[in-house]
Amino acid sequence: MTGIIQNLETLCGIPGVSGDEQRIRGEIRRQIDPLCTRCHTDPLGNLIAFKKGGKTPKNKLLFSAHMDEIGFIITFVEDSGLLRFAAVGGIDSRVVIGKGVEVGDARVGGVIGSKAVHMQKESERETAPKLEELFIDIGATSREAALEAVRPGDRAVFHSPFLRLGGDRLAGRAFDDRAGCAVLISLLEQELPYDCYFAFTVQEETGCVGAKTAAFTVAPDISVAVETTTASDIAGTDNHKVVCALEGGPVLSFMDKGTVYDTGLYRLALSVAGECDIPVQSKLGVYGGNDSRSLQTAGAGSRAMAISLPCRYIHSPTNVLHQSDLLYMAKLLGHLIPALAQA
Amino acid sequence: MDTTTMLLELSRQTGTPGQEGDAVSYAQKLLDTYGETALTPLGSLICTVRPATPGGPHILLDAHIDQVGMVVTFIEEDGFLRVANCGGIDRRVLPASPVVIHGAKGKLCGVVASTPPHLSSGEGKTTPVDELCVDVGLRGEEAKKAVRPGDRVTLYSHARPLLGGQVSGSAMDDRAGCVAILKALEYLEGYRPECGLSVLLSTMEEVGGQGARTAAFALRPTLAIAVDVSFAHTPDAPRAKCGVLGDGPMVGVAPILSSRLSRKLGEIAESEDIPCQWEVMAGATSTNADSIAVAGEGVEAGLLSVPLKYMHTAIETVSLADVENTGKLIAAAIRWLGRKGA
Repeated sequence: MTGIIQNLETLCGIPGVSGDEQRIRGEIRRQIDPLCTRCHTDPLGNLIAFKKGGKTPKNKLLFSAHMDEIGFIITFVEDSGLLRFAAVGGIDSRVVIGKGVEVGDARVGGVIGSKAVHMQKESERETAPKLEELFIDIGATSREAALEAVRPGDRAVFHSPFLRLGGDRLAGRAFDDRAGCAVLISLLEQELPYDCYFAFTVQEETGCVGAKTAAFTVAPDISVAVETTTASDIAGTDNHKVVCALEGGPVLSFMDKGTVYDTGLYRLALSVAGECDIPVQSKLGVYGGNDSRSLQTAGAGSRAMAISLPCRYIHSPTNVLHQSDLLYMAKLLGHLIPALAQA
Repeated sequence: MDTTTMLLELSRQTGTPGQEGDAVSYAQKLLDTYGETALTPLGSLICTVRPATPGGPHILLDAHIDQVGMVVTFIEEDGFLRVANCGGIDRRVLPASPVVIHGAKGKLCGVVASTPPHLSSGEGKTTPVDELCVDVGLRGEEAKKAVRPGDRVTLYSHARPLLGGQVSGSAMDDRAGCVAILKALEYLEGYRPECGLSVLLSTMEEVGGQGARTAAFALRPTLAIAVDVSFAHTPDAPRAKCGVLGDGPMVGVAPILSSRLSRKLGEIAESEDIPCQWEVMAGATSTNADSIAVAGEGVEAGLLSVPLKYMHTAIETVSLADVENTGKLIAAAIRWLGRKGA
């Protein structure tokens, strides 16, 4: 099972901002081609795989994780060589300043800074600059020099280390949703009791776009989004706003901002976890959303469920998750396949 | 060692105010070839390149070796660390930054917690440092075993070259100055000044300049050049208060500094064809030059600054050409001042 952790590090090492997923897709395809029965890339760039299992299930099952990650897109190159940019996906401007980035296919190094703290007025220190006020500095001192290295439309990601913290916690970039991808790949590595479809989707962070066509193509009876979700178990948070906590096990959703989930499947997952002695927690708060909104409503619709990893500081340069949650997630999904197949 | 490697390596060493040991040890190996090295009671590193004769002229080159960081003040029951600034880190860069905690039993990685979207008040308000917490992944009891109040915290450094001969990372303030002095010694190889010459890599500049003040008192130089960093212009900063990255060392002009020396440094740069720019300040300089100038009976002090973007963050950025030109100007100044007997 430590393979999942190693693979997470591999997958997080590859940039794949929404709409620019070809490199991460290439790596995932390289890994799953030998593991699945058949696999194809759809017109939007989703990677859709089918793995023959021991039996044909009563319900056609689709497990989905998104390949894309939040990041930036270069919108304009100034005469000074500085790059203007916009956020791709939801990024709090407060986590952007002072961070390093990598721009474009060549992963050109850049930094997002501002004038020195010494020159800031008190009011400026108290407020994070808006993204449109910021720029990426790649060291180029003219527009021409910058354009030799980058182009408008290039994506950028935070330049973040993959770190091991204390207590089996991991820190790094893009755990949302490379962690889900790593879990699905680990399922594909196993002999499955029932036929299953797997989708590695694009453009989740910009409107759950890829999942629409992937779910249309597969036309599942049951769709399972395998995701990460915000854990707010940090110092000083009121109990009722914690939502979910690291080391509490996979998180089961009954409702979020995008989806009201299938109640039967939600309860089924709780009982399967109980029978198998796998810790799980419910997502205690109606916040956020994921590909389920698209999976649920594609074509004639499917019964939707979401299982997420609790993850701190999501959509920031440094996400934190706990290895045990990741391993329990893989285990729970393994047990859910036969239950969902006949549900 | 080429300038890029030296700067990247030196900037990766840790040296928060009061705990500069790692950076000092690394610098000591680089300085050993130029003269006898010793530590002061406050941890500053002194290299005697040429001993001064008692009462004779004595030039001191200073750069500070410490860097901005944080200090652990409290460990919460749930294992999160509370911190305070140890030097003036820009608080706006902290949320979601990876950090390293330097404990007595070794290093530990952590992350400055950022407020989840559903809990944030909006409007982009930043959080004061004393309300932030650091996540090291440990529960209360484990955290209390691994971390102690007083342990220092640094921003994780991604020191790396950018395009255009620029280098970005933590602690370029003032390892760039340290490297400029090391380069000057390299450029001076074989030259023996007629006066005394000492190098001081001083501690605790970011918390008040205690290292340089005391070392300057002990060394009793007759002339000193402090080598620090200063603001390089970015579009959001007032142009008149900044130098330009790549335009060479900034020669300080200020009431606390020696007018003769400032002028001379400018003349030397011109005659040696070394690019430079003026940095004019109305009183003190907020560098070690201020305390060195008033050490003991007083010292004729000058200031050279390497232009730097994004000060007091993990992405401090300098130009290698500026670092090398600062080294060249220091070397040329030593040749001139050494010949004239300071």
